Amino acid sequence: MMRRSHMRALGVVAGLCLLAAFSCGKKSGSRGTSVHLWQFWDIAVVAPIIAEFEKQNPGLHVEVEQLTWATGLEKIQAALASGTQPDVCELGSTWLPRFSYEGVLEDLTAVYEAERDSFLMWDSALYKGRVYGLPWVQGSRVLFINRELFKKAGLDPDRPPQTWDELLQASQKIGALGNGVYGFGQNIGEKYVLYKKFMAFAWGNGGDVFDERGNVVVNSPAMLEALEFYLKLAPFSLQEKQEVLDQYFKTGKLGMQISGAWNVKNYALEAPNLDYSCALVPKPAADRGEHVSFAGAEMLVVFKGSPQKEAAVKLARFLQAYPQAKAVSLAAGSVFPAAREAMNDPAFTKDPRIKVFVEQSLTSRTPPAHPGWNEMEEAIDHAVEEAMYGRRAPRWCLDDAAKEITTIAARFNQK
Amino acid sequence: MSRRRRVSPVVWLLLPWALVYGAFFVFPFLFSFVLGFLHYNPLNVANTTFVGAGNVTRLFGDADFHSALRNTLFFVIGTVPVTTTLALALAWLLHAPLPMKDAFKAAMFLPSILSVVVIALLFKLFYAPGGALNETLRALGLQTHGWLTDPATALPAIMAMDIWAAVGYYALVLYAAFTSIPESLYEAATLEGAGHWATFRHVTLPMLKPALGFVLVMTQGGPLGSTNTLVMMLYDTAFRRLDYGYSSVIAYAVFILSGVFSVFALRRMRSQTPVQQRGMPA
Amino acid sequence: MMRYLRWIVLLVAIVLMAYPLGWMIAVSLRTSEGLNLRYYADVWNSGPFDRYFINSLAVAAVVVLGNIVFCTMAGYAFARYRIRGGKLLFFLVLSTIMLPKQVILVPLYIEMQRLGLIDSYWALTLPFLVDPFNIFLIRQYLLGIPTDCEEAARIDGAGELFILFRVVFPMLTPVLAVVAIHTTLTNWNSFLFPFILTNSTSMRTLPVGLALLAQGAYSIDWGHLMAGAVLSALPVVVAFLIFQRRIIGGLTTGMTR
Repeated sequence: MMRRSHMRALGVVAGLCLLAAFSCGKKSGSRGTSVHLWQFWDIAVVAPIIAEFEKQNPGLHVEVEQLTWATGLEKIQAALASGTQPDVCELGSTWLPRFSYEGVLEDLTAVYEAERDSFLMWDSALYKGRVYGLPWVQGSRVLFINRELFKKAGLDPDRPPQTWDELLQASQKIGALGNGVYGFGQNIGEKYVLYKKFMAFAWGNGGDVFDERGNVVVNSPAMLEALEFYLKLAPFSLQEKQEVLDQYFKTGKLGMQISGAWNVKNYALEAPNLDYSCALVPKPAADRGEHVSFAGAEMLVVFKGSPQKEAAVKLARFLQAYPQAKAVSLAAGSVFPAAREAMNDPAFTKDPRIKVFVEQSLTSRTPPAHPGWNEMEEAIDHAVEEAMYGRRAPRWCLDDAAKEITTIAARFNQK
Repeated sequence: MSRRRRVSPVVWLLLPWALVYGAFFVFPFLFSFVLGFLHYNPLNVANTTFVGAGNVTRLFGDADFHSALRNTLFFVIGTVPVTTTLALALAWLLHAPLPMKDAFKAAMFLPSILSVVVIALLFKLFYAPGGALNETLRALGLQTHGWLTDPATALPAIMAMDIWAAVGYYALVLYAAFTSIPESLYEAATLEGAGHWATFRHVTLPMLKPALGFVLVMTQGGPLGSTNTLVMMLYDTAFRRLDYGYSSVIAYAVFILSGVFSVFALRRMRSQTPVQQRGMPA
Repeated sequence: MMRYLRWIVLLVAIVLMAYPLGWMIAVSLRTSEGLNLRYYADVWNSGPFDRYFINSLAVAAVVVLGNIVFCTMAGYAFARYRIRGGKLLFFLVLSTIMLPKQVILVPLYIEMQRLGLIDSYWALTLPFLVDPFNIFLIRQYLLGIPTDCEEAARIDGAGELFILFRVVFPMLTPVLAVVAIHTTLTNWNSFLFPFILTNSTSMRTLPVGLALLAQGAYSIDWGHLMAGAVLSALPVVVAFLIFQRRIIGGLTTGMTR
């Protein structure tokens, strides 16, 4: 009898030991002499680019894998944990600082020094004076306006709002049209989006999350002003999730919203008769501030310890180069090259709407390159939402955000 | 007295269970405990540091945790009694000779066989502007509402969904109790007749019900985090913030809480049933 | 009189409960060109839904088989043998049912990661091969069956293994049917763990595929989304309608034993 339960225990322990044994051994991927690239675009889009690279570099073979936005980050960190990460990888600009902080990226400062003036959107790759990523493609947010609604409200669609006051007036007039029509679209109730729209106004007013010395200034007077203005738009705005805002805009029930280039692609497919145009994000006043917007950038990184480091860097630079970035952008239809050359390329300036996006990218910003940014953006989302719901005075909302962000930043100060 | 030449059959019989249990339950369970004391770094495992009780103290001061805890408790306290009452009512209605009884039973059971994702999508549509609820209100001349975007209504909306999904199932369980042990309404109401498992599943499960699947597909934490539940926070902390250690502490908090609930329910049940009679493991 | 009143109230209740479902089906069929199945065709081709279906099927089959064999073995052991520390052991079995699975979500993920099993059929099946709830069901059932047949076989000199699989197993058919149904249902609908443990499109099961569909291109495209939802639910609903007597009867009986 005794033996049985002992054998039982042994069985359980055996299971555990097997596991422990496996867990201790790191998996070394058998990767041969290929360069491994992980990125988010359709394989069909990237394949010709890869073929060209291989042609120009006989002897180098590239293995591409496509990630999805939903699971990409997880997959990358799973790979890092088991030592099976790729050589070159595409990372979002809001993820990059965390990776730089963890020290898992190859230093690409030399490339930066050679290329810096040819590209925009370097900010998220800068960390402690070194550069860890190459800007590849980017997408700004601009103001979309419904020309029909403008005309109906007695506004001139060829003179979109340039300042905050004009924006407010336009929202008021369109909102007054009634019949389920709204003047402006404000995001609410979901993650990852709200702060992007709000920060556009905040940055335009000279506000920011950190100042040059790294102090938290999210509750500065400039920021408060921006929040108060944003709240002024509320009575004339539809406050909903992005998908609903898009829906309303598509069906001509929303006068204006700040959104990205993917909608240009979508509207062409789903609402071909929609009469709309794009404009730069309004600035605080004619004599103050700038037309700043939020941009999401896709960066190319090389993971440290890559056995193909030289080839990897070569590939990254090749992808980043204008002809390749252009190919990807045109195929994807929702992003633009981070290269400055795009600003003058008719492929991007021919369509007046697209031209606005390109123009806007010159004054667009990516969020602060802080490893804890993903948590901080939530604090900002929360503050703006609270103010929008009228729970507390905007001032206290921002003060809370400042406290929260300081706490988060403190956690990352060990290194 | 050990003239055993071969290993007792019990060993072989229990081996598969033991292996799966050991490898995929005990090990992760203990590992989770250990993780709670570490700052495990998935991006750079070598840099994992020991933080002692740091994660736990952080939990106590974390406003997000408190709000998630509140939401979770609200959810449980809100859904359990309502589900039970409605289920009881339905079971009582069924407990009579009626035509089409089988069809009714089938219809009632249907929601519980749908996957969490299907139910979540169903209700996402139901509550959407232009969805069933708002359109019905509009047809009746009433005000429509952003059910899922208003922090005041988001959590109750999800609770209603949860009740919808569970009521039919529990009604049938109670109905079975009625028919097999028709001693008293009271007994059935305290879930005695429905047995050990219905109780545990009824109490423990709702604890976890702030089911990730629901919330993930529907609201991702919702307006002002009003639908942020403990389980959602657990997932978010681990997979978005890449803070596995802290997430483990949250997981243990869920474990302890559901343990407390279960013990409480077990006590209540024990004090009322001669458990032996039902052939339950004593 | 009371009887009809009851019936009517019940009917109203059922209609209310079915209302969201009906709306879902209506939306999935209402395309811009009238009622047809266009959305279904689109969805079926978009994510590889056929692949998701096969994955769900394969995984469910393996898990059900595993449970039927391994849980019978364990249930038999607990029912028929006196085990030293058996009470404790059985309590351990029960404990896993009571415990919130989310506690082991993250460490299980890490474990699978280190074992290199993420994104594989192993991850989708191994942890679920032995569901303690089934062990409980089988044990309870066996306790209610007299041991005569087994004794007789033993006296005739049959080996233990033979007794288990040739004598006991056939007697367990009713409870094994419940086991099969219960396991299939929970496994087919399982979302959280398959979602966490897999990454590639080719490894997704139906619920995961559906959820990602809802986050992707069709996020507010109700027609397509509902078509996807109906497609995912269809196999289960059809199976349910066929076996409903058995399912409803079996599951609730299992409860009241």
